[in-house]
Amino acid sequence: MAAGERVAVVGASGAGKSTLLGVLNGSVPPTAGSVRVLGQDPAALRGRELRRLRARTGTVHQHLELAGQLRVVHNVNAGRLGSWSAARAAWSLVRPQGTGDVLGALARVGLADRAYERTDRLSGGQRQRVALARLLVQRPELVLADEPASALDPALADQALGLLGELATGRGGALLACLHDPALALRHCDRVVGLAAGRVVLDAPARALTVAALEGFYGVSR
Amino acid sequence: MTAVVERPAPPAPRLDRDRRRWAWGLGALALLGWALASSGLLSGPVLNPAGTGQVGRFLAAAVRPELGAEFLRVVAGSTLVTVAYAVLGAGLAVLIGALGAVPASRTTWGRRRTGWLLTRGGLALPRGLHEAVWGLLLVNVLGLDPWVGVLAIAVPYGAITAKVFADLLDEAPRGAYRALLAAGAGRGTAALYGLLPPAAGGLLSYSFYRLECAVRSAVVLGLIGAGGLGYQLALSFTSLRWAQVWTTVYALALLCLLADVAGRAVRRRAAAPRPGPRRDPVLTGAVLAVVALAGWAVWYLALSPAALVSDRTREQVVWVASAAWPPATDGDLLPAVWWASVETLRMSVLAVAFATAGAVALAGLAARPGRPVRPGRAALGGLTRTGLLLLRAVPPPVWALVLLFVLLPGALPGAVALGVYTLGVLGRLVGEAVEEADRRPAEALRAAGASPATRWLYGGAPALAGPVLALALYRWEVVVRDTVLVGLLGAGGIGVLLSAATSSFDWPAVTTVLIAIVLLTVAVDLVGAQARAALR
Repeated sequence: MAAGERVAVVGASGAGKSTLLGVLNGSVPPTAGSVRVLGQDPAALRGRELRRLRARTGTVHQHLELAGQLRVVHNVNAGRLGSWSAARAAWSLVRPQGTGDVLGALARVGLADRAYERTDRLSGGQRQRVALARLLVQRPELVLADEPASALDPALADQALGLLGELATGRGGALLACLHDPALALRHCDRVVGLAAGRVVLDAPARALTVAALEGFYGVSR
Repeated sequence: MTAVVERPAPPAPRLDRDRRRWAWGLGALALLGWALASSGLLSGPVLNPAGTGQVGRFLAAAVRPELGAEFLRVVAGSTLVTVAYAVLGAGLAVLIGALGAVPASRTTWGRRRTGWLLTRGGLALPRGLHEAVWGLLLVNVLGLDPWVGVLAIAVPYGAITAKVFADLLDEAPRGAYRALLAAGAGRGTAALYGLLPPAAGGLLSYSFYRLECAVRSAVVLGLIGAGGLGYQLALSFTSLRWAQVWTTVYALALLCLLADVAGRAVRRRAAAPRPGPRRDPVLTGAVLAVVALAGWAVWYLALSPAALVSDRTREQVVWVASAAWPPATDGDLLPAVWWASVETLRMSVLAVAFATAGAVALAGLAARPGRPVRPGRAALGGLTRTGLLLLRAVPPPVWALVLLFVLLPGALPGAVALGVYTLGVLGRLVGEAVEEADRRPAEALRAAGASPATRWLYGGAPALAGPVLALALYRWEVVVRDTVLVGLLGAGGIGVLLSAATSSFDWPAVTTVLIAIVLLTVAVDLVGAQARAALR
């Protein structure tokens, strides 16, 4: 992947999309071969070095990574834990730190007024946007997204992917998103990679593909 | 025509602190600070210098317990007595519970609340008194009859079981029950076909839980003279035969351990029945075994219903009842009861705080890791779990007896004994909470480069804080009852007053102390329930 590139990963369930993201952010060790992320091999790094690399990679899961019992502001601030000391992180739970950035990020995803609510009081789509706001304050160079739009309506999904692309490429980074919706993939990404049973079976620029061609690729009639 | 509406800018969101939670938190801290400051832990000596010689001999005996054939026979006989008391007590309690659940359930009364409230209030009295207190009272009415041990377990357990059974029935899914009512079935038959089946797993599981607790209670009742392992332990203790003490301690720890492990295995199967048309053979076997054991126990203890209805018993009941009313209010008694209640509260707070802190500190080790770990870490985890199992295998009064060697008499040995035992219980519960917790938030933070400490703060602790505090509050209610128990054996608190009043047959004073105990436990239950509500 080149800097500034936006790549969509498509494939049926179980094709290895989430595993690919796991290998890239270092939470899944590769069984064979090696990867280079931002010029480094996560499997070769330990402790502080590994954490520094991970802080430069941001991952959005399917909004399952949020602590429901915490207020929204803390879940957004959790994106900065890679650079915060334990003492600052603990104090922030009593008196939220850096609220300016947090409110700014929440405003961009349209949740500015919910900053101090408990996260589990929010709907699924709102929580997904909280996960996006967490990434906005983390400011990673490489953005990995696993179904970032699954719980959003079409308009919000468009907005969310636009934000992710902007976030990644605006800082000279890259976006890698697993997507189920071919239309979204073609609209927001430059390149589409298709996986089947863990192998790359498609790698083409988005311009050369049509929605119909991708739908055939999923192998399901929609 | 268009109307232009001037919309004011939305106000900036504000951080509204939950005042109720802060108030509870600060209140709890203040209570703990007071308990610590007045415990004598921070001022003056707490260790007993005279005891050190005895401690050495006592500890040395741990590795060479008395294993003579004659004594082993005695211990085996005592174990059977304890098991017999436990099975009969729990069995009778489940019977009482099943009958009592009908008037104690909301379903029975519907919108009419008076009857329900009266039943619940009536159950509070037997529930508020510890089984050892019932034992002490029953000894004075029935004399040295095996019924004392059985009833001392059955009365308080029966009241608790009735309440829990009623709650289980009220909380069972009601769809089938409503459908049967709508189809014209009577309420009794509708409950039998629509309410009992969905609740059955919970009822059975709870019955086995009671049996498990009854084993521990039967040991404890022995300490106050009802026979069995506890009685044997008290005998060996007072005659300073340390080797015998250790044999008995091993036997009772083993028995409690067995009850704990077997009970948990059976309960897990009862709560989550296997699919398929066949009955679970283990469950059927366990139920049949308990019924057979109960039959054997009646024969073994030579229990005769005649003792309950004899003239002597009736006379004794009438005499005690007339002597016990009105309660004493004279002279020094009321201030003494007040201060003993305060001390009981203090001991319970210290014990629960110690146990909670220990359980949280050990939680990471006590929880079974969800992924493969290095052998050293696995061994450490196994060691921690075994250690916690041993802590809760020995009932608190036995811990108190042992600690009295090391610590000066007073509230502290009692508090530490309760704390050690509760640590065993809470350690397991908190470990299980950690095992069941969702690991994904913490994993996501790891992927974002958070350090272990911050991962725990933002990904682990938020989900665990509520359940752990709720568990601690629930244990606090149990510990207050147990504090009365260790007091009966002289470890401070209101139990000391009760044992003094009963041994001098001062029945009016006994009534006063009993009222104080019930009020104290009810008050603690109310505070606990309110605090748990604030946590939700």
